[in-house]
Amino acid sequence: MATYQEFIQQNEDRDGVRFSWNLWPSSRLEATRLVVPVSCLFTPLKERPDLPPVQYEPVMCSRSNCKAVLNPLCQVDFRAKIWACNFCFQRNPFPPSYSGISEVNQPAELMPQFSTIEYIVQRGPPAPLIFLYVVDTCLEEEDLQALKESLQMSLSLLPPNALVGLITFGRMVQVHELSCEGIAKSYVFRGTKDLSSKQIQEMLGLTKPGAPAQQGRPVAPQDAAASCRFLQPVHRVDMNLTDLLGELQRDPWPVPQGKRPLRSTGVALSVAVGLLEGTFPNTGARVMLFIGGPPTQGPGMVVGDELKTPIRSWHDIQKDNARHLKKATKYYEAMANRSAVNGHSIDIYACALDQTGLLEMKCLVSVCVCRFCPGHIVMGDSFNTSLFKQTFQRVFSKDYNGDFRMAFGGVMEVKTSRELKVCGAIGPCVSLNSKGSCVSENEMGIGGTSQWKICSLNPSTTLGVYFEVVNQHNAPVPQGGRGAVQFVTQYQHSNTQRRIRVTTIARNWADAQSQIQHIETSFDQEAAAVLMARLGVFRAESEEGPDVLRWLDRQLIRLCQKFGQFNKDDPTSFKLSESLSLYPQFMFHLRRSPFLQVFNNSPDESSYYRHHFVRQDLTQSLIMIQPILYSYSFYGPPEPVLLDSSSILPDRILLMDTFFQLVIYHGETIAQWRKAGYQEMAEYENFKQLLQAPLDDAQEILQTRFPMPRYIDTEHGGSQARFLLSKVNPSQTHNNLYAWGQETGAPILTDDVSLQVFMDHLKKLAVSSSA
Amino acid sequence: MEELYVKPGNQERGWNDPPQFSYDLQRARGQPRNLLNKRAAPPTTAGAAPPTAPPSSNPLAPPPCGMAPRPNPAPPTGVTTPPHHPVAGQREADSSQSEGQPDVEAVVSVLKGALAACRHAVREQVCNDVDKRLRLLEDSWRAGKLSLPVQRRMDALALELQAGRWDSADELHRSLMVDHVTEVNQWMVGVKRLIAETRNLSPELLEAFRHQPEPQPADAAQDSADAAQDSADAAQDSADVAQDSEDPAQDSADPAQDSADAAQDSVSQS
Repeated sequence: MATYQEFIQQNEDRDGVRFSWNLWPSSRLEATRLVVPVSCLFTPLKERPDLPPVQYEPVMCSRSNCKAVLNPLCQVDFRAKIWACNFCFQRNPFPPSYSGISEVNQPAELMPQFSTIEYIVQRGPPAPLIFLYVVDTCLEEEDLQALKESLQMSLSLLPPNALVGLITFGRMVQVHELSCEGIAKSYVFRGTKDLSSKQIQEMLGLTKPGAPAQQGRPVAPQDAAASCRFLQPVHRVDMNLTDLLGELQRDPWPVPQGKRPLRSTGVALSVAVGLLEGTFPNTGARVMLFIGGPPTQGPGMVVGDELKTPIRSWHDIQKDNARHLKKATKYYEAMANRSAVNGHSIDIYACALDQTGLLEMKCLVSVCVCRFCPGHIVMGDSFNTSLFKQTFQRVFSKDYNGDFRMAFGGVMEVKTSRELKVCGAIGPCVSLNSKGSCVSENEMGIGGTSQWKICSLNPSTTLGVYFEVVNQHNAPVPQGGRGAVQFVTQYQHSNTQRRIRVTTIARNWADAQSQIQHIETSFDQEAAAVLMARLGVFRAESEEGPDVLRWLDRQLIRLCQKFGQFNKDDPTSFKLSESLSLYPQFMFHLRRSPFLQVFNNSPDESSYYRHHFVRQDLTQSLIMIQPILYSYSFYGPPEPVLLDSSSILPDRILLMDTFFQLVIYHGETIAQWRKAGYQEMAEYENFKQLLQAPLDDAQEILQTRFPMPRYIDTEHGGSQARFLLSKVNPSQTHNNLYAWGQETGAPILTDDVSLQVFMDHLKKLAVSSSA
Repeated sequence: MEELYVKPGNQERGWNDPPQFSYDLQRARGQPRNLLNKRAAPPTTAGAAPPTAPPSSNPLAPPPCGMAPRPNPAPPTGVTTPPHHPVAGQREADSSQSEGQPDVEAVVSVLKGALAACRHAVREQVCNDVDKRLRLLEDSWRAGKLSLPVQRRMDALALELQAGRWDSADELHRSLMVDHVTEVNQWMVGVKRLIAETRNLSPELLEAFRHQPEPQPADAAQDSADAAQDSADAAQDSADVAQDSEDPAQDSADPAQDSADAAQDSVSQS
């Protein structure tokens, strides 16, 4: 292994894992002194085109409280056909089917290159995929038309055997029957009355009224498939459903002047969840909610129908002035909990110019404080935009095998070797409250368990998992010893198979006193930045913004004190080694990011940004923390430049990727040339190409990004240049502009602290003997 | 028959709406050529001085061309810009592929032929439903409501259906739904169902469908000998499902080759 960088990259490619530390401190005390916890970002279903699944059951450790899966780290006695579990040291005989193994004839799971392996297992009957559309009809005509077309289009993208259902709502909630023949029928519910799951099922005729409900074992899925008139295979009802969608009308109830339309989102969702609960418990299912405004009546309402009362702002929330917030949040949380228990996930597609109540409903799809069932949140202005249409199309995108990039009902379990315990996870997951010997009492994120449910996941879904070293200070781990972690993820593949993916990784223990430099070089600052950021965002959901910033600052200062080289009380002597050099910069940009700053963002927007931040993989998360800036010029190929006001030069084109926005910025001179039309002239072909280059690169990013970002093409002096100006480090401002003598870059009119000032303060605090 | 293009987003309804990619372009994406994920290294002495930048050029001068008045030599165009996308130029590719307007008769008669074959095996109500939609298709085509790209892709879809290349036909249906949903949403689901039902037909019924008189004067290509080969092809096709979906580019190259083959066949027979 040449460098840590290569090692880290290889581990991410093969196992989908990035650890903050790649050498682990051997004692609890030393580990806490490292400030950044031993933790990792783990992508359970990382795409591995080179990894064909095996078609048998995993072999598990026979100790009942271990059950770790046989892996390349296990010691094997080929002669006696016995293997020793590397987690609990139990010696296990191989099952009879392994009788033929030998040194030269090993099963895949023992080979080092299969540290990640996927098993296809037989568990119950194959379950179909289920998509239940819940559609708001209080939309403008144009929006409703576009949405109807997108839904019709989606029927072509769904697998033919997927089950599909339709609920529409406005003032009333309609559950549409999709039987093949005859006239269209629907069941209508009042939008103001909260109904229990049982009542809903009775009213829909799913259970016989009065018949005692069989606890825990409702209708078996196969029977339900035959009997449920509301969920039918696409291939059978596609024509009916196309017509049904085509004939959908805007909510017919008149909306008086000065009022919002009455939107019964709460009851509609409750009916959807109740319907799935009654028909397909514990089966992968997606509720897809399409809304064009906030819920305005019944349980779960976020704002009243009077237009003169605006929807809650951060200000209202801070002043405890958001009337419906607590009640609505509680309502949606309860619902989210129910759907999570059954493995159903909820997606929200909210397209409106004002807020739509994502803050309250985020618990349906989000994480963190409400930590419930995950799905997608997409936020746009209108259903008739490319942003919505393409994002929606990409939900149904397929992988290299032609399978959908979505999986359901995931359960991730973490097993650790004895010196390590798991403190928690942050990501789109729910605790399964599985207490075991490897669960720490110290909670970080969603803790107190070694198993989490991930109702809906895709190849980029990534969890932050936090550990604790429990080895005592005076009992060092034997030299050369290794600690191990095993991730066991069971899920329902989109082709309906049940699969189990097992990833087993190991890292060396190091004595933090004698080998601190080795530990330092094993630091993965990118992973650490994202892992600390997730902890910060997790805190931000329950704590006040300034407290979170202070906590992050303290952690950063402590880290710099621990690893910086300096003479006491001499800030100019402060230096950080290469493996930590970027870390303060990440923290600087994180402090300014919309994940921690709510200024200028609505509560809905903040929820939306945080929602995406805690589920993306490392590369995307890092882009969100510190956007990427590329510069295009005549001086050479496009090059990455500092996210700094000094990079904004007149003869450059800049391409900035913040994950949520793609900004192309034409410098002053370039913009003038473009206005003068030089690109049209044959002799300025190279200028034309220069203009085209960032467009092409932006297109490539757009083609793969989910959800679609906003796309901004602007220039020097353009009003939308603010997207760039608000992200770059304000190294030149109106305050210090003339101090530097010459004008380079663009001064930013801000009183925000620049990276330079931030670093100066950091150094001062790090070297201070009083700290 | 791949259509690779990018349309601008809906700026009126969506603030900074991103551009829209055609279905084939979304599918065709491979590994991105330029991974823009690098960050510039921070200056080693961050905070000491503002980062310096190369001197900017004179804003009064025109953009440098081949003989730019600039200390450094004229930027070689190949270096200044990343490799050009093949995408931009292909907007017109489709129109150059097939000349002339596709014939509504030809397309509809293939679809109707398929429907006729289905009538022996599929429930009547479904057939009537499909029939209703085919008539809708025919009407809107004759009324001039279908754009040329839709007509062309429908033409290609009919050919694929006739040749028993179900996956390819299905793929075309999907691309039409994604790219032109407003034009086709009324009737496309009928075509979709038709493809699905035809694919499930028994070999005898399929044979009947294949033996339909060719609407176009396409001579010997549709010989019985050929048909036999075709159905063998079809069998192989369905076996190759996985491969097909993996390699759409190759797939789309196939029809051209096939028709070349057919031509050769007819030569050898004559």
